[in-house]
Amino acid sequence: MKVAFWPGCVSKGACPELYISTQKIAPVLGLELAELVEAPCCGSGVISEQNPALADSLNALMLAMAEAQGADLMTICSVCQGTISRHNHAFATDGERLARANDVIASDGYQYRGTTKVKHLLWILVEDIGIDALRPLVKRPLTGVKVAPFYGCQILRPEDALGIRDHPQRKTYLEQLIRLVGADPVEYHGKSKCCGFPMVTFNKERSLAMGGSHMVEAREKGADLMVTPCPQCHLNLDAMQPEAARVLRRRIDVPIFHLPQLLGLAFGFAPEELRLNHHVVPTRGALQKIELKA
Amino acid sequence: MVIDHDVVVLGAGLAGMRSALEAARRGADVAVVSKVHPVRSHSNAAQGGINAAIGEGDSWELHAFDTIKGADYLADQDAVEILCSEAPGDIIEMEHMGVIFYRDEHGKLGTRAFGGASKARTYFVGDITGQALLYTLYDQILKAGVKVYEEWFATTLFVDDGACRGLVALDLLHGDLHLLRSKAVIVCTGGMGRVYEPSTNALICTGDGMSLAYRAGAPLMDMEMVQYHPTTLKGSGFLLSEAARGEGAYLLNSKGERFMERYAPNKMELASRDVVSRAETTEIKEGRGIDGCVLLDCRHLGRDVILRKLPQIHELALDFVGVDMITDPVPIRPGMHYIMGGIKTDVKGRTRVPGLYAAGECACVSLHGGNRLGANSLLDTLVFGRHSGGDAATYAKETPPTTGGEALLTDEQRRLQALLERPYRGETHARLRLEMGQTMDTYVAVERDAAGLETALKKIRELQERYARVSVGDKGRIYNQALTFVLELGYMLDCAEATVRSAIARTESRGAHYRTDYPHRNDDEWLKHVLIVHGKDEPEYLPVTITRWQPEVRTY
Amino acid sequence: MEWTIVVGRYNPEGTIEGEPEPPPPPPYTNAVRKTYQTFTVDLPKHAAVLDGLIYIREYVDESLVVRCACRSAICGSCAMWINGHARLACKSRLDAVAVDGRVTVEAAPSMGVVKDLVWDQSPFWKKHLDAMPWLENREPIPEREYTVPNAMMENLIQEVSCISCGCCLMDCESFAVNPDFLGPHALAKAYRYADDPRDAATTERLRRYSAPGGVWDCTHCFECVSVCPKGVAPLDQILKLRRMAVEAGFTDNNGARHADAFAESVRHAGRLDELMLVPKSNGLFNIAANLRELPGAWNLLRAGKLFSMFRRPIPGVQRIRDIFKKVGGRFGGRQEADKIEAYDRPYHRL
Repeated sequence: MKVAFWPGCVSKGACPELYISTQKIAPVLGLELAELVEAPCCGSGVISEQNPALADSLNALMLAMAEAQGADLMTICSVCQGTISRHNHAFATDGERLARANDVIASDGYQYRGTTKVKHLLWILVEDIGIDALRPLVKRPLTGVKVAPFYGCQILRPEDALGIRDHPQRKTYLEQLIRLVGADPVEYHGKSKCCGFPMVTFNKERSLAMGGSHMVEAREKGADLMVTPCPQCHLNLDAMQPEAARVLRRRIDVPIFHLPQLLGLAFGFAPEELRLNHHVVPTRGALQKIELKA
Repeated sequence: MVIDHDVVVLGAGLAGMRSALEAARRGADVAVVSKVHPVRSHSNAAQGGINAAIGEGDSWELHAFDTIKGADYLADQDAVEILCSEAPGDIIEMEHMGVIFYRDEHGKLGTRAFGGASKARTYFVGDITGQALLYTLYDQILKAGVKVYEEWFATTLFVDDGACRGLVALDLLHGDLHLLRSKAVIVCTGGMGRVYEPSTNALICTGDGMSLAYRAGAPLMDMEMVQYHPTTLKGSGFLLSEAARGEGAYLLNSKGERFMERYAPNKMELASRDVVSRAETTEIKEGRGIDGCVLLDCRHLGRDVILRKLPQIHELALDFVGVDMITDPVPIRPGMHYIMGGIKTDVKGRTRVPGLYAAGECACVSLHGGNRLGANSLLDTLVFGRHSGGDAATYAKETPPTTGGEALLTDEQRRLQALLERPYRGETHARLRLEMGQTMDTYVAVERDAAGLETALKKIRELQERYARVSVGDKGRIYNQALTFVLELGYMLDCAEATVRSAIARTESRGAHYRTDYPHRNDDEWLKHVLIVHGKDEPEYLPVTITRWQPEVRTY
Repeated sequence: MEWTIVVGRYNPEGTIEGEPEPPPPPPYTNAVRKTYQTFTVDLPKHAAVLDGLIYIREYVDESLVVRCACRSAICGSCAMWINGHARLACKSRLDAVAVDGRVTVEAAPSMGVVKDLVWDQSPFWKKHLDAMPWLENREPIPEREYTVPNAMMENLIQEVSCISCGCCLMDCESFAVNPDFLGPHALAKAYRYADDPRDAATTERLRRYSAPGGVWDCTHCFECVSVCPKGVAPLDQILKLRRMAVEAGFTDNNGARHADAFAESVRHAGRLDELMLVPKSNGLFNIAANLRELPGAWNLLRAGKLFSMFRRPIPGVQRIRDIFKKVGGRFGGRQEADKIEAYDRPYHRL
């Protein structure tokens, strides 16, 4: 299946392990990644706050580029998924906004006709490939490992723009995939709450208190590791974990996996191939648990 | 504890907050007492709009005539003149306070049509006018720094030497009883809808102030005038605003006919509420209803109008009966909604008891006579809330400080304690209220007759007797709702009794009071108000004040 | 139909029989410990959670307290946690919220509790008061109404629909970790007056809301948009306030600097430059704050992540720079773009 692949900015910047592990598992999944190398940053919801017209234009350009590929736009970052979906939803419901954006990008020969579907890898795995088709790919089941799913916020809300009304099961895909790879999902309240990343540069302490609380809760409920579909969450949960522990004055020690890394391990890749040795919070402990069960 | 103020306002809905604001502006030390947070007051449920004759080609005299005709000539015309002539000023004042009224294409206040009005003069905010007004007033109360005793429940008025000098209230959050002593009390406790079952009213509309004032010696007037709103949702009884009909919705019977053609050929669905409710009741009685209801059809208004102008009622129908009014007609029936009657006041809000004022739905000036026009109630609260607050402030300035009352506080503490200690003897407040409500909705509803009314009165007496045995199922101090529910039931029984006795007394049909045994209006004998006085078996009567509009035949 | 309703109860005056549950999850660890009682009710198909609670209160246990009045999602009294999310009890049909015929209700753990389901509203109303929630009239006050286009009044209806139920604040994650955050309810009200053409205090308001605890303490997570029963979308109002505040010149804060730095890197390279984002948000010359970022940078370096954070402009970046120039406004380097109604239309409706 061909997808117009939008890796986002963070997976090519502060979280290269996400990009690399995605590249690794794509062929196994039968995904042909046609990367949109010339597409602009989606704006992350930040640009649209101060200049909605600009954010609309940038996203219209990206959506038009995907449209030109004739394929779904696949994201691997929840913030991209949320942001681009919100713009796409606005274009579908408000003709004036689409017209304005098209007016801006027309000079480069692009027009967005509104047909692009924006889907995170998480959704493509369950909806387009299917759990049954994925099952035979699992070569190294992660039996007995307790994995806490962390959705965060941008891939769940707002429900209208993300198509959750039509696909309410999207709120459970992480648990489904965790079970698929043979592990046990951990149920906890914080899984759909914000990690705090959007305000880490405004109020670091409070931002880290948010993400930190969810990790503490997950660990208290028995999680060996946490998996997230968002590299921005990953930054606040993994890269900032030592500081979060200091802010909360509690031990955290929860390794944070990207979704493709979790799948990659189950498909049989070595941890180094998925760059699991390049996290801030060591993944050794969790990996040992997996190796023991192999 | 004893706390002193100049003026105490009981109730923080539109009338309560408007009167408090006015009294504060006149320099009085005001306190507002409310058993719920001010924004939970039932004023927030008023949807459609507020009337004023501001527009070109309209005049306050026309508005007054519409009101008096709508009242079936039971309204006191001097009061109506004040209501309608001052309305424009009050609307403008609310706009200056920040209410986001709808505007026309020139950026000026814009109107919608409403029932019983010869000209479109209803100003509105979407279909949440009451909410918009309430919140704006609350914001102004905050700005003025008026003291609010939130979640304090009034148990009795303090009457000293024949004058009302405060009230005793229970602080629900802490469980303490206090005497709020003042020189004047303004009762603004709203309606008594829970006396009926079902009703559009909130659970807090239990006629507290009416009963408290009644027991303090202020007569209750025109209590038989109970308005049944034509469009209440099937089952729950929730209100679907008249605004729907104002925007052009139809009422259909089981045959798909716009049956109002036969009852009010000119105004059709926008005839006065009692006329429409009676029409619906007749259609249902004669077999042209569907499951005890008729249909409100908004489909032809179009999706855009419904979602922009009537979003709240669209949601109500969707959430509570699962009908989308964009694509289907909604099942509705007449439901008890408002009481035109209440505590008798003059045009300054004064009752017979010195120092005791009343304003809003709980008062009866009388403005609405036998039937209230839609969008006149919100106006009533503002105009007469303002008058009451202003006069109370002036009165307070001229009155020496109040002393005493400690004995009353002690007595109340003892009374409530005794109530709490009553053992369970099989009677609960919930069951008694349900029996009362069903009785009232059966015998004292859109159509009444002597036999039914006598049955109702007998039942009320029986309930009053059983009430003496009701126990309180929560013996705690903090936030004791069970205690307040039992006290509210007492208030409701007073109101129910007054309503039934007034209905028995009035042997004619006028406005909302329709008697099958006396089906005609009798101006020769009945151009007068019925007053029920505490401690007196026989009602008193007061003639209706007529200034310039002689009673005419009332057709729509 | 039969339903099982588990109620989280709390009585400051004594003990309640029932099962204590494990402590509330972080960050609610300061919440009161409740006792959970299980009730079974038999109600018609369309009944709401509130009907169940009223039934229990009237026929089973008169000491159960819950605030409620209108039963029709207008008064805002009955907001509570229902199966772990803030909702109005009257608007939550049992057949929609119950899982296997069972639903758990309690006062939200982010709020203090008076008793049972009655929560302590004083912090909620204090924040409302702090937002200066009244009109400061623009002078001169006209004799009749102010003349304003209807579109400006309709713009405010989204916030005026707010029924102050508290659901948004109950589930606000930022408030949960930061009690000083003004919160979605108060900030939405703040916007309602800040963007009212008849108000004269806009600048003062924007200054107030740009301070710590104001609009920049929102974590942009859409929780308030999701739980609001009236479609107020407080987040949308907060974002509009941010825009207004920056336009009014209140840019000496990390939020405004962050947005500028973000946009500048996208304009220059087509992508976000994470490396410079943090110091630019602090202010490049804010030595103290930037020094505090060093441990984080060191962690990234040790993990071997810093290398990829050095950005080069992407191929075709000129296209992107042209878009910035053509759109103009903030970040585009020329005059402010006209205020375009399309971008301020209520976006999130139920």
